[in-house]
Amino acid sequence: MALFADLNIVNTSDTDRKRLQSLIENAAHLGYSTVAINHVAEFQGKKLEIAKPIAVTELYPSPPIVQGKSKPIKILTRLTVIVSDAAHCNDLRITSPHTRSYDIVAVLPKTEKLFHVACMTLDIDLICINVIEKQPFHFRRPSVNGAIERGIYFELAYSPAIKDSTMRRYTISNALSLMQICKGKNIIMSSAAERPLELRGPYDIANLGLLFGLTEGDAKAALSTNCRAALLHGETRKTALGVIYTVKKASATEEKDEGTPLSKRAKTKSD
Amino acid sequence: MVRFKSRYLLCEIVFENPLSRQCIEEKNIYKTVKDAIVRAHGDFGFGCCSLSLAVKYLNAYTGIILLRCRKDFYRVLWSALPFITFLENKNQKYPCFFNTLHVGGTIRTCQKFLIQYNRKQLLLLLKDCKTKGERESVERSVLSCSLKELEGDRS
Repeated sequence: MALFADLNIVNTSDTDRKRLQSLIENAAHLGYSTVAINHVAEFQGKKLEIAKPIAVTELYPSPPIVQGKSKPIKILTRLTVIVSDAAHCNDLRITSPHTRSYDIVAVLPKTEKLFHVACMTLDIDLICINVIEKQPFHFRRPSVNGAIERGIYFELAYSPAIKDSTMRRYTISNALSLMQICKGKNIIMSSAAERPLELRGPYDIANLGLLFGLTEGDAKAALSTNCRAALLHGETRKTALGVIYTVKKASATEEKDEGTPLSKRAKTKSD
Repeated sequence: MVRFKSRYLLCEIVFENPLSRQCIEEKNIYKTVKDAIVRAHGDFGFGCCSLSLAVKYLNAYTGIILLRCRKDFYRVLWSALPFITFLENKNQKYPCFFNTLHVGGTIRTCQKFLIQYNRKQLLLLLKDCKTKGERESVERSVLSCSLKELEGDRS
């Protein structure tokens, strides 16, 4: 049974707890098992201020129960960084202390070069596709394929489409141009909801995916399995820094010592 | 045997202000859905969905509606429903959104689903009941949910 997740609930101000609570209750009523509260960070001048994420236990002592299941809804934190200059990405390359505390890290690139850099080298989980304005650059196949190999997902937000007619046109045209290059793989759809009325049920959004050019199976996966995969990607980014891979070899130690100069050989070996 | 096959969309209208549920009427919903189809899919959408578009069932207390349309074009209608943001009645706008619960081929399957759904809602309400009298009336309603009778009343 698929678990639906909505990975983008905008946190506009830290003081407005009630609005967040009503949003999360609405998401639980609609059937989403996981939501992520999104903190948007934009550069002012040259400094980037990344706030600390909201403490989930402060919101709810006991989270509301998901409609149709008996488990409470899972609430995660997420950071979106809007980059328009190459110097801004330094925080995202290595695991910096700021981004460690968030469960998911996303980036919204504004130029083609940054899009390529984000697909290939940056340490992120999601790449947001701009739906509010006409995309100034076209997507390139090598960048998109590189991102798919690394396990990075592309995110489409649907609440601007609900609010305004011109946004609807930009959303559909940007989504279709992405679809032509990536053929429906690695896509996530989420609401960028600020008010509780901007959320929509998961089956409605899967249907919207058909409008964006996804196949039926892909559209449903965009809400369930792909979201789960992005969450797991975020978890491994948080926890794993390197992998040690051991291979059993018969004469491993002798071969290793032959390469090192005499003075540095292990003194414990009986000479 | 040639029969017009249709699809029935069971939707729940969720309002921002729960009191405005009393004001929904069949004609308003029909008009709102048609306008949404025109805005999303244009004249083609309007033409193909209006073939047998009808509001078959409406429950003002719970906000559940049942829409019917042709089997070949139900996706056109379904994809226009998320874009509805308000219902208009006597020049007053009520903000709301449509949440699709079930798509069925006949009214009977939708009714079966609706009974199960209402039973789950009643069980959730049972959890939040504060007084003993409320608990008893909700428990009685849960027990009376079956296909032979009408959908269980909400307390």
